Amino acid sequence: MTRFVAYGVLALAALALEVTWLSDIRPGGAAVDPLLVLVVSVGLLHGPIEGAVVGAAAGLMQDVVTGVPLGLGMLGNLCAGFGAGLGEGRLYLEDLWLPAIAAFTLTIVRYAVWIGAGHMVSVLSVSLTEAVRVTVLAACYNGVVAIPIFRWLRRLDGALLRLSERPR
Amino acid sequence: MFSSALLRHRRLIVFLTLGVVALAVLTEQVRTPDRRRVGWAGEAVEFALAPAATVLSRAGGAVSGAWSLLNEIGALRTENARLRAEVGRLREENAGLRPVAQENTRLGALLGFKEHQPYQTVATRVIGREPSDWFSTVLVDRGTLAGVRRNDPVVTSEGLVGHVIETGLTWSRVLLLLDPRSAVGVLAVRSREAGVAEGQGFPVLRVKYLARDADVQPGDEIVTSGLGQIYPRSLVVGTVIGISHAAGDMFQEALVRPSADLSHLEELLIVVRGGEQVAR
Repeated sequence: MTRFVAYGVLALAALALEVTWLSDIRPGGAAVDPLLVLVVSVGLLHGPIEGAVVGAAAGLMQDVVTGVPLGLGMLGNLCAGFGAGLGEGRLYLEDLWLPAIAAFTLTIVRYAVWIGAGHMVSVLSVSLTEAVRVTVLAACYNGVVAIPIFRWLRRLDGALLRLSERPR
Repeated sequence: MFSSALLRHRRLIVFLTLGVVALAVLTEQVRTPDRRRVGWAGEAVEFALAPAATVLSRAGGAVSGAWSLLNEIGALRTENARLRAEVGRLREENAGLRPVAQENTRLGALLGFKEHQPYQTVATRVIGREPSDWFSTVLVDRGTLAGVRRNDPVVTSEGLVGHVIETGLTWSRVLLLLDPRSAVGVLAVRSREAGVAEGQGFPVLRVKYLARDADVQPGDEIVTSGLGQIYPRSLVVGTVIGISHAAGDMFQEALVRPSADLSHLEELLIVVRGGEQVAR
């Protein structure tokens, strides 16, 4: 329970960053999405169910806060969190590049779902080249920031675990 | 059997359930004209998340405000640094111009003095100063080529400075009044009492050999007497600032502050034809 509260706080912090500072920093028209990186990290660390739940909740929060059609971010982040969790037990979490590769790949998945779903329900209209360009750029940015975020999240998990195991 | 199947596929079930919810929320908006009406499911979600959204917006606004403030502070710092640099540059420029203005004033005074003197003079500039505390000489940039000779008196518009003790082709060394080696025949203007003004190595001259009953008082002006074969008559030397008079002494002594600022000499006049009494 403590962990989910901590994730909620982190998600809020990430969202606050997204709608403030990061909204002004958009090199090449794409921005870093720390919330998505957080979702991917949770999926990698705790499996598909937790990744999916955290992803859906975070995506919905993102939709509400950012004003995009509700459900788009929820669906996209749900897929990203679930996809990250599918490697549970098969991936070597100590690998430095794992979070970067996962964030890069799942950002592409998330954007594909996001754009595809938006097209399907006719709430989004964007050319394929523009979609690919923005998607790849965002994937690169997320891949870079995923390394420190994943490490911090692992440390936080460890600290929370030690806290919960401490004898009362 | 059913529960074990649920357990086995629970990942997929959770994913699909959440996916269906997401699609339901999404498709609900398609039926509404502005496509952002959240529908019943969305309303529930927004109802639950609105407080968080409010807090986030406020937090975002606060962060944004803080960021703007930081940017503003940064801009102000930059502006401040620029203005400081500008002030520094202007001060430097001002400091560079001030000596020029002062020099202009000094040269004007010197020129006025020169025009009112019956002597022929050579203007010169101080190019060096004796570094020790005990002797007072300066090096000037005119020598024998300009007609300067040993024992020529040196003055400023304020008064007597000293005399030339060495000359080269393009330079001369001037012994200042303050030097212990300097001795000048002087008169008190008011009482015409005569004495000899000697340097002591510090900024006050001692006028010796004044008669015991001589009428000399602080404030009296002292000028050259013309008796010493070096200095012409009536060049201003300084002002009496004190009298020392011990019982039993044959003479009294006066302390005189030189009129010329001997510690800040820059432009001088050398009297090159001051009087025929001078042995060169």
